[in-house]
Amino acid sequence: MSVNGNTHDHDRGDDAAAYVLGALEPREAAEYVRHLTVCTRCREELAALTPVADALASAVPQLAAPTELRRRVMRAAKERPNEPTERVDRRERKPSRLTTRRIALGAGIATACVAAVLAFVAIQGRDTSRVVSASVMGSPGAAQLRISHNRGELVVSHLPPPAAGRIYEVWVRRGSTSPAPTSALFSVTGGGTATVDVPGDLRGVSQILVTQEPAGGSRVSTHRPLIVASLT
Amino acid sequence: MIRTPRHFRLAGLRRLADEELADHIRRGDGVAYEALFERHGGAAFSLAYRMCGRRTLAEDIVQEAFLSLWRGRGFDPARGSVRSWVLAAVRHRALDSFRHNAAKTGRDVNDDAATESLVAAEDTGAQVQREEDARQVRGALVELPTEQRQVIELAYYGGFTHSEIAGMLDLPAGTVKGRMRLGLTKLRLSLSDFAEAVT
Repeated sequence: MSVNGNTHDHDRGDDAAAYVLGALEPREAAEYVRHLTVCTRCREELAALTPVADALASAVPQLAAPTELRRRVMRAAKERPNEPTERVDRRERKPSRLTTRRIALGAGIATACVAAVLAFVAIQGRDTSRVVSASVMGSPGAAQLRISHNRGELVVSHLPPPAAGRIYEVWVRRGSTSPAPTSALFSVTGGGTATVDVPGDLRGVSQILVTQEPAGGSRVSTHRPLIVASLT
Repeated sequence: MIRTPRHFRLAGLRRLADEELADHIRRGDGVAYEALFERHGGAAFSLAYRMCGRRTLAEDIVQEAFLSLWRGRGFDPARGSVRSWVLAAVRHRALDSFRHNAAKTGRDVNDDAATESLVAAEDTGAQVQREEDARQVRGALVELPTEQRQVIELAYYGGFTHSEIAGMLDLPAGTVKGRMRLGLTKLRLSLSDFAEAVT
């Protein structure tokens, strides 16, 4: 790989192609992304190739979604209601986890959030649940990790939206190993809130981290963690 | 078949653009969610199946991607279309499954036979257009020299890094990256109109 930084007398088109295909090694990808911040030519090259890579997603032989898959998708949505930004009919609202969550977020104070959720947990008798306050660094906002039956849910509030063309990505660190990327990508509502399922079992996990990454996510982190929740 | 109010509503929602359906979904409208799945579930499943080669895993991946959309995780209409978001989410999850489940090792028994019956029926104008778009990209891909198409497919659909591909094909890593670049550049020229249409 070229080592040129902010000069323009170089050719890193090979890296651009491999990057849009997701084929750079993690270390190379991180270095390339850093290089992009100082090189207009490479940014333009990347912008030219990105739509081509995106088109590949549509190039596969088209199949119909299986009927059973449609049922599964609809059933899963029914079992896990979303968090609408507007309610069509407020009379339909019932006291629920969602209500508790909103109360907690509205408080805006981590300790109050923890207390509210713990109170809820106590009411529900779910003694395997706990809440971990997360650190938010270099940005306004608050975050907490809700853990129940070894599954995690990250709740953020007052967080600014990611920059244009970027997305927040959740990472999982096991022990002292390097953080591993997950499929959890998210943005925030206009109010800066989001609730994100952390994929996988949390047993053995030491930290949950969030970074800001290019849209579509990264296999290697390109920014310092914005949110860190330590489980141990 | 008995037509319920849900059927009539679904029929009405089918006329809406993706962005309008996404607005309904943000308000918790399950029928709009179903309409959006009708529209893009096939493309999402097709990509997932192409990448992982396993029907059950492909279904899991698609379900996760759509569930994220339903729960408002990550999709922002200001940053791209619903379709491109769904397909990107599917690909990301498929790559994630490669890392965790070694899914690249093989297909489920009889999966090809099982999916034969799923070849999309072109019963709406939009579906016909999408299939035509897919044919166009496939056609451009087929036109590439074999060695360029091979490295692009291994990277994009297989989730392999250039070093892994170099090892598989017994080539220098620089050659693999060079072929990727040549192939993508040719594809860009062939698809310049199409690429603008899908972004």
